Amino acid sequence: MLRKKSVIDTDSLSQEDIDLIFANADSFLEVSERDVKKVPVLRGKTIVNLFFEPSTRTKTSFEIAAKRLSADVINFSSSTSSVKKGESAIDTLKTILSMKVDLIVMRHSDSGAVKMAQHFINVPVINAGDGKHQHPTQSLLDLYTIKKIFNKLEELKVAIVGDFIDSRVARSDIDLFERMGIDVTVVSPTMLLPEDFSKMKVKHCIDDVIEESDIIYMLRMQFERQDRKFYPSIMEYNRFLSLNKDRLLKMKPGSIVMHPGPVNRGIEITDEVMDIGGEPGEKITIDRQVTYGVAIRMALLYLILS
Amino acid sequence: MGDIKDNNLKDDNVKNILIKSGKVIDPVKGTESVSDIYIKDGIILEIREKIDISGNDNTITINADGYAISPGFVDMHVHLREPGFEDEETIESGTLAAVKGGITGVACMPNTRPAIDNQSAVRYILEKSKNMPCSVFPVAAMTAGLKGISITEMGLLVEAGAVAFSDDGNSVEDSKLMYEIMRYSRQFDIPLILHEEDNFMSKGGLAHEGYYSTVLGLEGISSLSDDLMIARDIMLAAKSKARIHITHLSTKNSVKMIKRAKEEGVNITCDVTPHHLFFNDSCLKTFNTSFKVKPPIRSEEDRQALIEGIKEGVIDAIASDHAPHLDTEKNTTFKLASFGTTGLETLFSAVFSKLCIKEKISLPALIKLISPSPAAILGIDAGRIEPGKVACITIIDTGAEEVIKKESFISKSKNSAFIGQKLKGKIVCTISKGKIAYRDKCIKERVIS
Repeated sequence: MLRKKSVIDTDSLSQEDIDLIFANADSFLEVSERDVKKVPVLRGKTIVNLFFEPSTRTKTSFEIAAKRLSADVINFSSSTSSVKKGESAIDTLKTILSMKVDLIVMRHSDSGAVKMAQHFINVPVINAGDGKHQHPTQSLLDLYTIKKIFNKLEELKVAIVGDFIDSRVARSDIDLFERMGIDVTVVSPTMLLPEDFSKMKVKHCIDDVIEESDIIYMLRMQFERQDRKFYPSIMEYNRFLSLNKDRLLKMKPGSIVMHPGPVNRGIEITDEVMDIGGEPGEKITIDRQVTYGVAIRMALLYLILS
Repeated sequence: MGDIKDNNLKDDNVKNILIKSGKVIDPVKGTESVSDIYIKDGIILEIREKIDISGNDNTITINADGYAISPGFVDMHVHLREPGFEDEETIESGTLAAVKGGITGVACMPNTRPAIDNQSAVRYILEKSKNMPCSVFPVAAMTAGLKGISITEMGLLVEAGAVAFSDDGNSVEDSKLMYEIMRYSRQFDIPLILHEEDNFMSKGGLAHEGYYSTVLGLEGISSLSDDLMIARDIMLAAKSKARIHITHLSTKNSVKMIKRAKEEGVNITCDVTPHHLFFNDSCLKTFNTSFKVKPPIRSEEDRQALIEGIKEGVIDAIASDHAPHLDTEKNTTFKLASFGTTGLETLFSAVFSKLCIKEKISLPALIKLISPSPAAILGIDAGRIEPGKVACITIIDTGAEEVIKKESFISKSKNSAFIGQKLKGKIVCTISKGKIAYRDKCIKERVIS
């Protein structure tokens, strides 16, 4: 089903696709636990990580995934400042394609850029994040993490907290979570929530959801990336939206905290919570998301290319 | 453009044209009747049921049986890009595209380089367009360099031949300045064509702020951006008694506000583009940059309100906002792409398909919106087929249907939002400035020499 298919958005993934990806991720999870972390399934295949926007985590995750499948990986990074026009991105794509590659993993700072790229290339492309639009592999790994921990998806309550204006993670997560029957509440101040999200279940303070949620999903708050700053201050953010120790301790048994990373310590999650040990510390599943991310990406690459 | 030249009749020797048996439309009376039209030396000589000009070698006869005959269209919002952006369009290529679209008069916008904000620039446009296939009516800038700081020499510009004023592409942010521009324009009884956009509201925006822009992660432009400025300018016009024309309406509220303003006696008119009537913001789904326009293509609710505005007579005209752009400006991400779509060549077929076929608006009513009505707003003598007038006539095959292809455009730029659409109604021949300025291949069989 996924063979030779591009993955641009969560919308294009059917239930069967997702089940298949998860089933394969289970087996690849085991590969990563081995002493020799490599299987020869994609030997001779060339994958290019084409990143027009800086990334360390996602790029590394894709790179490790490809290498564990024995594919050859080439990293091409170019900050948007050096690739000023989308047009040059097209030329770059064409150049790389001329070198006969089998799959492109692409990230770009503009919404829709990966979809645009699809018109110019004849190999599958995986969207590793395009502007504010989508980040489908992040949602897949988020959903996989939830499934691994809770062993179900229906009837779970997730609260997604933070900046929705700039978040591609939120857009793909909401789409995928809702389709899977997860109950989603968005928690955000008005200026960080596009008007059209108001049709969803909306709360403005994390205290309104902290006790009843199975999953608190913290989005990255980027004060520095806002073109125009409408949110007043970090102190205000801490008061209404940050996850601090008091709030963590109010969470119900078995509930978890997720974050797409990297965390802005002291903004969305306090230092104290980040470094907390013991039982409350087990709620923080950020590291598990990263581990599962590799397995999910291995599964996806394998299913598309094998 | 060789294509067009080939399509033109070698009619240098032919002085007279006889159009036989066409369905002649009178958009002002709202009637249509089968008649012959005889054009002698470029001037309409007579219109009556049967005209026989036997033995006149100097006459070309077109059998227009089954075709609709309309006064040539007037497009009151066109970017010809000359001077300064001749790589996108020139007065020549733009006027050739116009006559292919059945348009015999265009009002060209002043956001050129240099801007049309001085007499010389107006004279340049008029001089340059003298021998072009369609008439060009310069719109001059309201403020120097369209910067919104100081009023242009409006008196001198009117004397040079400007038919209207506009800072199209911008709104004058300074309300006091706008008020004084309005008061001054009254002295010359000349319309102000207003692009309505609150820059603070729209800053950084790429698409209509709504469901699709939200889901697709495209920065939104709120309807408030248009509405706030329109509300302000209605108040300024009510006070100043100026003649204002709001161009490219896009929102539901703007129709409502203008309707009320008209009822209250404000001297206000407005137009809408074919693309705002044709599409809604679901077109964004593909991230196709041809749909990146300003004001943005808005929601279905807005589109319906615009159509309603036409049916109720609130909207006075349809204008293309023909905005040519190079491939390099459009062949990029949605964020980096330029705003605008071309529109001259698809003006008629787009609105005919949507308004006449789909919405059952009569053909004379539609023609009124693209010919006599914009002519009246601009104060130019056009939009009627009457004896004694220079012939500006468009012949339409209302039964034809075709899929719009990129290759078929003769404008220098191909950034049309209508590429791929199946449109009804085709211009088969355009007589402009008394001469045959465009003819489609199919008319060859209809010509009796």
